[in-house]
Amino acid sequence: MGFFAFAWSILPDLLHATRMTLWITSGSIVLGFLVGIFLALGRVYGPRPIRWLTGGYIQFFRGTPLLVQLLVVYYGLPPYLASLGIQISPLAAAIIGLGLNSAAYQAEYFRGAVQSIQSGQMMAARSVGLSRVRAIRYVILPQALRLVIPSWSNELIYSIKYSSLAYFVSLTELTFVGKKIALHTARTFETYVVVAAIYLVIVLIVSRLLWMLEQRARIPGLGVPTEHR
Amino acid sequence: MKKALLAVLLTGLFAVSGLAQVYDVASDTTWPPFEWADAEGNLLGFDLDVMRCIAVLQGFEINIISYDWDIIFDDVGIGRADIGASGATITDERELKVDFSAPYWTSDQAVLIRADSGLNIVTALSGGYTVGAQIETTGAGFVQGLLDDGVDVILQEYTLYPLAVLDLINGNIDAVIQDEPASQASATAEADLTVAGVIKTNENFGFFVAEGDPEGLLPLLNDGVDQLKALGAYDNLVRAYMGTDLTKVEAAWKASIGFLEEGDVVGFALNLATLANQ
Repeated sequence: MGFFAFAWSILPDLLHATRMTLWITSGSIVLGFLVGIFLALGRVYGPRPIRWLTGGYIQFFRGTPLLVQLLVVYYGLPPYLASLGIQISPLAAAIIGLGLNSAAYQAEYFRGAVQSIQSGQMMAARSVGLSRVRAIRYVILPQALRLVIPSWSNELIYSIKYSSLAYFVSLTELTFVGKKIALHTARTFETYVVVAAIYLVIVLIVSRLLWMLEQRARIPGLGVPTEHR
Repeated sequence: MKKALLAVLLTGLFAVSGLAQVYDVASDTTWPPFEWADAEGNLLGFDLDVMRCIAVLQGFEINIISYDWDIIFDDVGIGRADIGASGATITDERELKVDFSAPYWTSDQAVLIRADSGLNIVTALSGGYTVGAQIETTGAGFVQGLLDDGVDVILQEYTLYPLAVLDLINGNIDAVIQDEPASQASATAEADLTVAGVIKTNENFGFFVAEGDPEGLLPLLNDGVDQLKALGAYDNLVRAYMGTDLTKVEAAWKASIGFLEEGDVVGFALNLATLANQ
């Protein structure tokens, strides 16, 4: 069988597994986004104990290997969770493990974006009568979220590729199924070329979507703040 | 300084050129009783000790390397390691990548369940339950065969068998299917687990080398197994490893390995079997 015939024959299985990859990625990136925003705000605006806590969280999750975190969530915690009557599925474990890790990285991107907005803006918002929370919600965040898109897209692209670690918790995502096919057919090189191509296509589509989002969300005059100083 | 460094590098390069030929033996050392590592990192197990004994008898040395199961056939196939000794069933598919020795062990599959689950071997494999197995093993292949025949069962595959067993203990899956001695070993080690039953698959285990046996190892391995059987050492290794308590075996191994270092294959196997069964 030639390469293209072979690639075509394994494509259905790989595309099926790609759905799992997309579930893992989207679940973990959303969880990471929600947690990451609060971590970043806590780290910038929180009182000292909150700053320490969020800083500790970020250092812990950035400082330990993702794979170890994943194995702890899926294989390490269940004996303790079982006494509380909680069971954790492989997909939930992967999303929680990858999501909590992603949150630490996303928080740092958000913090960078929030801090890049001049402190005068906060003062101005407060002086026209906005509370601190409202100032963050209506003045700081709308700008920070726009500014963060380019660096944040890194994290999303990493997440797509890191989702392959989920095969350690027995999820049949793209890499795992590719591995199975490679072992089964003894056509290792061809199989991984197809797997890599699928990842590349996903990443290219996602990058394009993010670029479009960046263009749409652009505020004229914002985004190159140093020019105006 | 640079010269000293170079000297060190060169000695490192040429140090291998000792007297006896050294072969790299690849093994997925996570699968008692066939191959595993004890708490101190000693690699032991039925396959590994059979290999060690063969090496003594045939006058070569072996260097055991822990390998991931999912690359072991590829790597031995292209010569990254010389010999594979990893509880591998001889299958046509694997024959495409490697050459096998004559069978040295015949195995069946056994289904492991939680003792309190109320399942039996039939319900565990047909009642819509989730059965775990290591990726690309004959156990996984057996469940895949059931699936292909339309049986109501879910197959969950793992990179390592210990992870599947751990998931069974944690209650995330309902059963694990693996070769009988391995299932027995898990059931002995874990009070919560029990063997629901055995499926007679009559699989033959073989050692394996690169396709075409370029180093001429298979005759040495086959002859080595025959010699071990004739000496009675083979039966003692079976007695030491199959159906015994792993912690006892580990202690017995440490107390016996000295025999092997002195080249006494028979004494090693006898001592190991005696201590492991005490």
